[in-house]
Amino acid sequence: MSSPVQIWRQHKQLNKYLGKEGKLIVWTKIFVAPEGFEHQTPYIVGIVDFGDKRMPLQIVDCEEDNLTINQKVKIVIRKIGKVRAEDVIEYGSKAKPI
Amino acid sequence: MKVKVLGTGLTKFGEAWDKSLLDLAQQASLEAINDSQLSISQIEAVFVANMIHGKLTGQDHLGALVTSSLGLKCASFRVEAACASGGVAVHLGLQSLLAGTYKNVLVVGIEKMTDAATSKISMSLMGAGSDQERKAGLTFPALYALMAKAHMQKFGTTRNHLAAVAVKNHYHASLNEKAQFPFEVTEDRVLASPIIASPFTLFDASPITDGAAACVLSSETRGAGVFITGSAVASDTVDLSSRKSLTEIAATKQAAKQALAQAGIDLTDIKVAEVHDCFTIAEILAMEDLGFCEKGMGGEFVQKGTTKLGGKLPVNTSGGLKACGHPVAATGVKQIIEVTHQLQKRAGKRQVNGANVGLTHNVGGSGATVVIHILQS
Repeated sequence: MSSPVQIWRQHKQLNKYLGKEGKLIVWTKIFVAPEGFEHQTPYIVGIVDFGDKRMPLQIVDCEEDNLTINQKVKIVIRKIGKVRAEDVIEYGSKAKPI
Repeated sequence: MKVKVLGTGLTKFGEAWDKSLLDLAQQASLEAINDSQLSISQIEAVFVANMIHGKLTGQDHLGALVTSSLGLKCASFRVEAACASGGVAVHLGLQSLLAGTYKNVLVVGIEKMTDAATSKISMSLMGAGSDQERKAGLTFPALYALMAKAHMQKFGTTRNHLAAVAVKNHYHASLNEKAQFPFEVTEDRVLASPIIASPFTLFDASPITDGAAACVLSSETRGAGVFITGSAVASDTVDLSSRKSLTEIAATKQAAKQALAQAGIDLTDIKVAEVHDCFTIAEILAMEDLGFCEKGMGGEFVQKGTTKLGGKLPVNTSGGLKACGHPVAATGVKQIIEVTHQLQKRAGKRQVNGANVGLTHNVGGSGATVVIHILQS
């Protein structure tokens, strides 16, 4: 889990990628999750190609059966992992099909 | 370059609930020193490989901790390079001998993993990944699953090809009393086990393991024995998506080229190899990137039996990470031990006839660190 100051620093970078469009080149559906992500299983994580760089991102708002290689996606902001009630909620980039 | 492997020590791999990290370290270390026929006071430095013990328990400073527990007061070092910690520790131990700083050193790789919950282990291992990978909820099975999917898309590799790696390595482990899973599995069992990260099922993955592996290395190279004649480490980006290709581990190619050149041998001279099969696709990538087969043909290469005991090039005769087990920082040292035993004709039912040159391939993360060693008798 990130500290409040790490989260503050990371949140200042979020608009750098928000809305950016790319192509989904490969993905996997995860059934056994790391600590903090257990409540989301199963969930999809893919590698998205933005032309100038590639990023690993959770793919949201979709069913795996509807995904295709090179499908267009765009970056949205979503909550990352699960925190306790007294912790700062961390937000980050995920991707959804267009 | 020439350094002798004087002695080896290896614990049983598996769930050692009645043993602590230090118990395992002492058992393997004392066995290696005893096997070397040196007295313990002749050990001048100890290189301790470990990845996640500090994160799991809060206990760091493992170099001095292990060294003092052996009753030694010599130089001690803790080495961390994710799952390549053991191989990197061997490399550093060897460099210290070549530099002339020491004459005899002990390298011990240790990991105590089964005391913690799987989700905690998964997150701790993700310390070997990038921040963006952790934020995406990726795990190491998932990172290698992405490589497997890319390989399937590009080369037509199938689930059956992946399963062939697990079936072969379980067969080898069935001949190894130190293995965590000393039993055979069928292709059907591999394919029917629960999905952990598509396309991988549980039997595509190496397990969570307790274990320790130790070896005594010496610059005294007179007489017969097993010698390390090549040792190279190469690096790449920690983040998988930043690499040029998802279907190769470039650091494997770079380290292998350097190690073979140091040893002055060709790939065709290799008679036995221990490679980093943390997941089934990893062994397929290793076969291709080391140059044992053409790119894209690794699945077929394994499936047709070339790398099974009795085949042209037996690979992972210990059972590999997949079936012998993967106490992460011990793995690189265990690979050295398995090849040493093969070259000493001490491998019992797993003995490869005519083995006189062997290779070890140890990977950290999803390919950010690769260590290659060449051993010759």
